[in-house]
Amino acid sequence: MPAVMENDVLKYKGSNYFRQRLLLSTLSGRAIKIEDIRSTHDDPGLREYEVNLIRLLDKVTNGTRVELSETGTSLYFQPGILIGGQVIHSCCTQRGIGYYLEILLALGPFCKEPLNTVLQGVTHSDLDVSVDKIKAAALPMLLKFILVDDGLELKVIRRGAPPLGGGEVVFKCPVRRHLRPLQWTKWGLVKRIRGVVYALRVSPTMANRVVESAKGVMLNFLPDVYINTDQCRGPNAGKSPGFGISLVAETNEKTFYCAEAKSVDAGSGEITLPEDLGHECAHKLLDEVYRGGAVDSSFQWLLALWMSLGQKDVSECIVGPLSDYTIAFLQHLKEFFGVMFKLEVQRTDDVDSDYEETASAQKVKLTCVGIGYVNISKRTL
Amino acid sequence: MADESAFDKKKAHRAKHAGRKAEKKKKKHQIDQSNLTARQRNPKAFAIQSAVRAERQFRRREDVIAKKQHIPQVDKTPLEPPPIVVAVVGPPRVGKTTLINNLIKSFIKTNVTSTNGPITVVTSKKRRITIIECNNDINSMIDIAKCADLVLLLCDASFGFEMEIFEFLNICQVHGMPKIMGVLTHLDMIKNAKTLKQIKKTLKHRFWTEVYPGAKLFYLSGIIHGEYLRNEIKNLCRFISVMKFRALSWRTTHAYVLADRLEDLTSQETIRKDPKVNRDVVLYGYVRGVPLMKEAMVHIAGVGDMKISELSYLPDPCPMPSREKKRHLLERERQIYAPFSGVGGIVYDKDAVYIELKGSHSHKQEDEETNEKKALLKNVSETVETLDEQMQESGFKLFSGGAVIYPDMVKDDEYLQLNKKGQESSDDSGEEDDSDNDSGIDQSEKDVEKASKLPWDNVESDVDEDKGGREAGDESPDDQASESDSDDEDFSVKWKEKLGEKATVAYLERQKTSKNIMKLVYGEFDIGNKTREKKVDSSDDSGDEEIGGLFKKVTDTQKKKQKEKQQLDLDECSFFYALNKPNLRNWTIDENKQYLINCFVTGKRSADEDAEQLLKLDDIDDEELYGDFEDLETGEKHKAEEKFEKEATKRKAEPTKAEILEKKMKLKAKFDAEYDNPDDHRIKGDHSYYEALKAEALKQSELNKSVFDNLDNGLRIEVEGFRPGLYVRMLFKGMPAEFVTNMEPSYPILIGALNMAEQNIGFVSCKVKKHRWYKKILKTNDPLIISLGWRRFQTLPIYSKIEDDLKYRYLKYTPEHVTCNMSFYGPITPQNTGFLALQTVNNNSNEIKNIGFRIAATGSVNEINKSTQIVKKLKLVGTPLKIYKKTAFIKDMFTSTLEVAKFEGARIKTVSGIRGQIKKALNKPEGAFRATFEDKILMSDIIFCRTWFKVDVTRFYAPVVNLLLPIGAKNAWQGMKTKGQLKRERSIKNDANSDSMYTEVQRKPKVFKPLVIPKALQKGLPYKFKPKEKSTTLSGKDSNEKFKNRVAVVKSPYEHKVSSVMKMIKTNYEKKKEVQKEQTAQRLQTHKKQLEEEEWRKIKRQKELKKKICRHLSKMGNKRKPQM
Repeated sequence: MPAVMENDVLKYKGSNYFRQRLLLSTLSGRAIKIEDIRSTHDDPGLREYEVNLIRLLDKVTNGTRVELSETGTSLYFQPGILIGGQVIHSCCTQRGIGYYLEILLALGPFCKEPLNTVLQGVTHSDLDVSVDKIKAAALPMLLKFILVDDGLELKVIRRGAPPLGGGEVVFKCPVRRHLRPLQWTKWGLVKRIRGVVYALRVSPTMANRVVESAKGVMLNFLPDVYINTDQCRGPNAGKSPGFGISLVAETNEKTFYCAEAKSVDAGSGEITLPEDLGHECAHKLLDEVYRGGAVDSSFQWLLALWMSLGQKDVSECIVGPLSDYTIAFLQHLKEFFGVMFKLEVQRTDDVDSDYEETASAQKVKLTCVGIGYVNISKRTL
Repeated sequence: MADESAFDKKKAHRAKHAGRKAEKKKKKHQIDQSNLTARQRNPKAFAIQSAVRAERQFRRREDVIAKKQHIPQVDKTPLEPPPIVVAVVGPPRVGKTTLINNLIKSFIKTNVTSTNGPITVVTSKKRRITIIECNNDINSMIDIAKCADLVLLLCDASFGFEMEIFEFLNICQVHGMPKIMGVLTHLDMIKNAKTLKQIKKTLKHRFWTEVYPGAKLFYLSGIIHGEYLRNEIKNLCRFISVMKFRALSWRTTHAYVLADRLEDLTSQETIRKDPKVNRDVVLYGYVRGVPLMKEAMVHIAGVGDMKISELSYLPDPCPMPSREKKRHLLERERQIYAPFSGVGGIVYDKDAVYIELKGSHSHKQEDEETNEKKALLKNVSETVETLDEQMQESGFKLFSGGAVIYPDMVKDDEYLQLNKKGQESSDDSGEEDDSDNDSGIDQSEKDVEKASKLPWDNVESDVDEDKGGREAGDESPDDQASESDSDDEDFSVKWKEKLGEKATVAYLERQKTSKNIMKLVYGEFDIGNKTREKKVDSSDDSGDEEIGGLFKKVTDTQKKKQKEKQQLDLDECSFFYALNKPNLRNWTIDENKQYLINCFVTGKRSADEDAEQLLKLDDIDDEELYGDFEDLETGEKHKAEEKFEKEATKRKAEPTKAEILEKKMKLKAKFDAEYDNPDDHRIKGDHSYYEALKAEALKQSELNKSVFDNLDNGLRIEVEGFRPGLYVRMLFKGMPAEFVTNMEPSYPILIGALNMAEQNIGFVSCKVKKHRWYKKILKTNDPLIISLGWRRFQTLPIYSKIEDDLKYRYLKYTPEHVTCNMSFYGPITPQNTGFLALQTVNNNSNEIKNIGFRIAATGSVNEINKSTQIVKKLKLVGTPLKIYKKTAFIKDMFTSTLEVAKFEGARIKTVSGIRGQIKKALNKPEGAFRATFEDKILMSDIIFCRTWFKVDVTRFYAPVVNLLLPIGAKNAWQGMKTKGQLKRERSIKNDANSDSMYTEVQRKPKVFKPLVIPKALQKGLPYKFKPKEKSTTLSGKDSNEKFKNRVAVVKSPYEHKVSSVMKMIKTNYEKKKEVQKEQTAQRLQTHKKQLEEEEWRKIKRQKELKKKICRHLSKMGNKRKPQM
């Protein structure tokens, strides 16, 4: 789905990667046009959550122009200047808060005013990364690029499970003039595993059962496992029942892998066994550890974004196998910024054959020269 | 720069160690122990005597050190830098052209007949320069200042500094100060030696105040046979070729090209049809600054924003001398390249390019390489008149033929090779897979590669086919469809059943990421100069291929399309397994556990991390030192290596010899670095923070240089961009015809790349100060020409002042000597970029004389936004309609209820200072409202509401397109004129405001209303103050009327009697009083006389007494005197 250039407007088709395109358009200041959005579907046009995203982008920018066709199947988006500041946004419950938060996280360092947002909606969803995961794995990554933590914060005030949500998070992000180039080729070994199990409007024993099973798996590998239970009560528990777990593996080079699992949505008729859930999550985490790399696989694209937005210096990072989403993102990065990564598969040739068996998944080395992106919104005195 | 400094290093002075002088010196340094002070003898005892002083000393030292420190910056100079731009600037008739001719002659030992446009010459083994002359146009001066690395500022010493020089220096200061060298010419015009000395001195000091104290000023003392003195020129050349440069912030973030060649590729036919048709123009030049990205937006100064539609690099037309070690430049390496001037092989003409062949002998002497280059250039030049497509074709030809020229393009290119092999193996296996003919690799090269196949070729082909298993799920049905027709019916059922399974397989595949991952991600991309081959036709052909007459074979492109279609409207999800959830491996099984166990701290470490291994490494290190030696006496060889080798084979993870060597090399490098850069150690003490920063910058710059070193050139350009130093060819489509037809090479063509978002237009807010030499102040909304970034444009600025509450208050004029804020509608430019403003760029000499100094203002960008917040003070005025105690109805302030509603709760105030608040709108009259005040107001009061009115910045942005103007009128660009200018031109005069006219003032005498005292109050007043009838009537009335209202009084006889008696008594009494008064006066007079007499007597007595005393005293004094 490569873009077609027309008068400096990038033209895309289809609703997939909608978020990436809007994000990159906002950052690059290039107008985009997306056509054929679900044009063949029974329910054509943009979904509610996508419109909601446009609204959020409108809130954090100044001068954004959006033109939607009558059927909602085509969209013209001309980005404005990132403003940031105080934003309260109630996210669409069709997607998790993570869907929106990831975008804010990517835009955060380039705003005029430090971002201070309150997002309301579903904190844990199947389709999107949960707020716990962003807090555990994405924030340390951003910290590597901005180096000084002056007010980078993500606070989960209330949790909310789908379908009704009712969760609330506060996200604060400092602004920077530019990001540092990053060399991150070592990720170390997993030294501790932490986790949190939340139970919203369900019996507290559920949480304990999840902890037990997850811990059972993890203890096969590492003794340092500690899993919290978060029993939410009253309004803090959101509007729908549900429970879930997120596990974080921290390495001795400050890499965080995170995996999560949650119960099926209330009202769908199926039942999730807490033991299964814990087991599933633990395996997901082990899978993530196996994939390895400097960042969690869900945030490879964020890493690529920040690497390419750095100063005109070389950034190098090694990540696990690229996800589809990352691949699409790299393609989009090339179209919007003209930045191409040098991708190398890290070979394990130097290690002997019998050793290779025990090695983890193959890694990809991302090398790029930053485009020298500067925060044009920030005010200098 | 580092290697350059090494190159420039002078031979060190060697002090004598023997001989008479050395002995003398030795003696001098020997300290005579006998007459030493205690302090000298025992300095340690006197080390610290005062803690305070020690502290101060320490502080001072730290201060000095801290002042020396600069923020370490990543050194971005490329290994092969572009030629240095040397600009020769000065007012007309100072000898610029003569100087350039002399310089070129000195550098390349040949005479150049005409100099026009940039001239590139090789000056030394490691340096090339591009000399460019700046004509006397402020537009050119600005463009030159933006691209010059070194400026030779020429000045006629017999005349002194002219305004242009100061203007140019100011332009430089704004856009980043290049190195500036002053050159004084016409010194021979001054005959008197003394005045010459004087002039030199004053000019030098004036120059120093402008540039920096100690700036280099050259003196060219005279002209002989139309040339400057050879020695002086030689000296100047030497200075130029060793000059060092500082990185300027704008140029280290933006790529730029100073075009030195131009070609028009538009077909003659279209030009014939319409001479004004937009042209396709090719510009050539060296990339400078930072790498230039493909398809970047650029700004061509004097033309406008353009998009590079094709960018490729060419072999260097003026190459740097070969790296061989030799003392001097060879004669043939002293090259010159100046297409605009008609030297260096290629002559530029309007619609043709000629190649100068330098006679028939030149060919024989040239070696193969240069011949090839010539041929290549010829190739390029021959294609000039062809169409665009033909041009592309020829470009292809050029590079396929140029395989000899760029052998490195295909050599050790991993990605290309891998792609190729994948393709070949698929060809071998007999499948008609024609999609992989990618990356512009020629068929001819395939055959060469076929011989050497690597074991993983098969794997590669698989991977190629299914793109790393990503589409395994999608693809398998296609395969089935194509392979077996029988399965067709139950295919969909199967497909669904197997979906999960397939996903799992794909997931396992994914873990072994494909090796040609670049292709997986970016598809088939252009590499370097090679353009992608069109594959449309091939896909059409294969589309018709049929199998068994029934089923069309699914081609790769179709597959791709199908896949795209499937992905088109998927839900976006950033997880690794986005929507398909595979069954994960069971990690708890021992078999799988193995893969993972070493990812935890509890597992086995890799060799270079394991403490145990590291210890062993140290041991081996020692062992190696002592382990292997030959006993010279016995001739016995002691070998430790064998043992070591055995050990190494036993434990695989142990370090090899190579590793040890590497470690040693590292140590050595560290030592070398420390030893070679003693400058770094000037800053002593604990400055670890600074040191760390510096080390980081150094590391980064090394990484920047080394990381793409062994990458194929084409791919490197793809990843890194066209690095500075490359000679590039840029194709611009849709260039205005005037650019070509009105081309004048003496105007520099500066092509500056625009970074992200800089091609957009928004509201720019900046701080600005009127230049102190500019005579006028600037008015808001008067058109102003601004030079910002690469651009020059006209816009309508609004000046404002930032108040304490960060409000932008509108100013009508710029303040005199302070900065103010300026907002305009213009291109988005990064913060802190400097700019300068001019009111006109017209070179009308009369106008210049009038204006004097042309730079109106300077400043820098503060903020970018898409809207502005400038406000103007606005006072709304109203009058009371009706007043109740503290409430009043106010009218005339607003015109509608809606307006009032907007201002509800606003503070208002009367002129007398009574404060109040707007409450609510009234129905009638429209716009009136109810307000409350802190006190009762008067009907005569005027009520104010102080508000702010938002002022909009006019959206006007017009680039200065001086390069498109006809030749000879290029310096006459005229944009929007000010209202004043227009009125003056057309002699329109304003009607005077009648309110401002002087008229005779006529004042009527003020008539006051009579005082009315209320009746109730009158009652209480004493009669005296009671208003009498008389006073109640107005004065000036008829006296008859005065008594109109009076009642006549008629007295009775008794009353008459009484009144007459009373009259008599009164008269009597008055007479008596009069007499008494007279008597009293008399008495008083006599009494006064008496008193006076008495007084007089008293005084007399006192006088006599005084006399007596004085006399007595004088007598006594006389008596004493003789005794004295």
